[in-house]
Amino acid sequence: MKSLLRQHRYALAVTLRRLAAAPISSLTNLMVIALALSLPLLGASLLVSMQPVARQVSVTPELTVFLKTEAPSTAAEQLATRIRKEYAEQVAGVRIVTKDRAIKELRNNPAWEQALKVLPGNPLPDAVVVSLTPSDQLAERADKLAQVWRKWPGVDLVQLDTAWVQRLEALLRFGRIGLLLLALSVALVVLATVFNTVRMQALSQREEIGVARLVGATESFVRRPFLYLGSITCSLAALIGIGIARLALIPLNDALASLARSYDAEFALSLPAPWMLAIAVTSVAVLGALSARWSVQRNTKF
Amino acid sequence: MIEFQHVFKSYGQGRPILADLTFKVSAGEFVYVAGPSGAGKSTLLKLIGGLEPPSRGSIQVHGHRLDQLSARARPYLRRAVGVILQDTHLLFDRSAIDNVLLPLAVTGLAPSLARARARAALEKVGLSSKENTRPIELSGGEQQRLAIARAIVNRPAILIADEPTASLDIDTARRIMSVFKDFNRVGVTTVIASHDDALMAEYATRAFKIEPGKFADSTGQRAHTFAIDSTKLKDQQSRVGSGRSETLR
Repeated sequence: MKSLLRQHRYALAVTLRRLAAAPISSLTNLMVIALALSLPLLGASLLVSMQPVARQVSVTPELTVFLKTEAPSTAAEQLATRIRKEYAEQVAGVRIVTKDRAIKELRNNPAWEQALKVLPGNPLPDAVVVSLTPSDQLAERADKLAQVWRKWPGVDLVQLDTAWVQRLEALLRFGRIGLLLLALSVALVVLATVFNTVRMQALSQREEIGVARLVGATESFVRRPFLYLGSITCSLAALIGIGIARLALIPLNDALASLARSYDAEFALSLPAPWMLAIAVTSVAVLGALSARWSVQRNTKF
Repeated sequence: MIEFQHVFKSYGQGRPILADLTFKVSAGEFVYVAGPSGAGKSTLLKLIGGLEPPSRGSIQVHGHRLDQLSARARPYLRRAVGVILQDTHLLFDRSAIDNVLLPLAVTGLAPSLARARARAALEKVGLSSKENTRPIELSGGEQQRLAIARAIVNRPAILIADEPTASLDIDTARRIMSVFKDFNRVGVTTVIASHDDALMAEYATRAFKIEPGKFADSTGQRAHTFAIDSTKLKDQQSRVGSGRSETLR
C-alpha cells in the first residue's frame, strides 16, 4: 500500500516537473480549456439564476377573477364560496383581495403613490385569486375554467397568469438543451486538447518510457504521470474557467441591474452553487484523465 | 537460472538469426557470448532479458517460462534481470543519481532508502563524486559505469550486458569488467556479449560462440550449425561497420 502511494507521489512529481519544463505550452493549454469551460459556466449561471423566478410562478398557477366595480361587497365572498364548493378537486386555494386592500397595496408602492392621489375614489374592483392544483394539462384546464367563470354573474374579467410562465418555461427548456449541446461541444474540445497534449508529451518522453520499461516499470507506472497530467490540467483549467466566468458576470450584472431597475425589480446573475461547481470541476478532471488514458494507450505502443 | 530449449529467432519471414539453441546457465555463472557482428549476440541477450520473444522454443529465466508469463507479470521479471544495452539509454535530462533512482522509483521504495541504495550503486562503480553530474558531461567509460549502476541498483539475480567495453580504452574496459566480476562473486549470474575475446577470457568462466549459422558452448556440451539468411547478415554487418569478428579460441 505504502509502495503504491510512493509511486503515486513519484508520478505526481514527474507530472509537475513536466508541466514546469514547458511553462508556455502548459499555460496555453490551460487557457484554451479554461476559456472553453467558461462558456457553459456562464450559460449555467443564466439558467440557475432564471430557474427560481420560473419555479416560483409556475408552482403556484393562479387565475384572478375580477368582479364588476359596481358589484356588492358580499359578491366576492359568494363567488369564493361557490368556487370552493363546485371545484374543490381542481382548486388548491381561494383568497379574496378586496378593493380596499388592493388600493392600499398599490399606495405602498412609491411608483403608484402619486398617480393614485389624483384619483377621486377607488377604481379597483374586488377580486378572487384562485390557486389551481398542479397537473400536466394546467394551461388547458385553466383556460376551460376561465371560460366558464367569465360567464358567471357579476364577473367582469378572468385573468390567466400561466401564459407568460409557459413562455418563460419554454425559453428555459430551450436554454437547457442549448447548454447541454454547448457542454458536449466543450467536452469534445477538452478531450481533443488533452489527447493532443498527452500525445506530444508521450512522444517527447519516448526515451524515458523505454528506459522505465527496461528496468521493470509496469504499464500503470508508465501511464500514471499522463493521467495526472490530464486531470491536473483539467482541474486547474476548470478553476480558471470559474474565475473567468465570475469576472465576466461583473459587467453583465451591472448592465442587468440598470435594466431591472427600470422595471422596479432586482435581478442578478450568479454562478451555480459551490457544490455544483465542485461536481463540474471533478467531472472535467475525470474527463481529462480518461482522455489522457486513451491517448497514452494509443501513443506509447513502442 | 537461464534455460533455452530449441529456441529459434527470426525477423519477418526470413531464415532464422538463431536456430535450435539449447543451453542452460546455472546460478552464479559468468558467461561470455562471443561472435562477429550480426551473428545474433545482441538478439540472444534480448531473448534472455525478455525484451524480444522467441519465434519458437521455450526460454526459462529465473524460474519463469517467458512464453507463459503474462504481460502484467513481465515487468516484475525484468526487475530481476539487470540489462545494459549497447546504447546505454541514459536519460540526459537528469543527474546521474536520478538515472540510478529510476529503477527504485518503479518498485516504490522509500525515497531515503532509495537514495542510499543509489549512492551505494554509484560508489560500487566509482562514480560517487559524479552523482549530481548529468550523463552528457560524463566520459564514455563513466556513462557505461552509470548504466551498470542503474542495472544493479535493484539487486538483480541476473546481469546481462551487450558490448559493455566497446570503444573504451583497455584500462577503462578492465575497470568495468572488474565491476561485473565483483557482482558475479556475490552470486549474480552474468552474461556478457563482446568482441574482445582476450579480455573476456580473463573474467568469464564459460563461453558461447555464435558465428553465422553456428552455435557452440565452450564446455563442449552443445555445438550445432544452422542455415541463416546471408543477405540479412551482410546488411547487418555493413551497418555495424568495422566490427571485429574474432572468435574465442
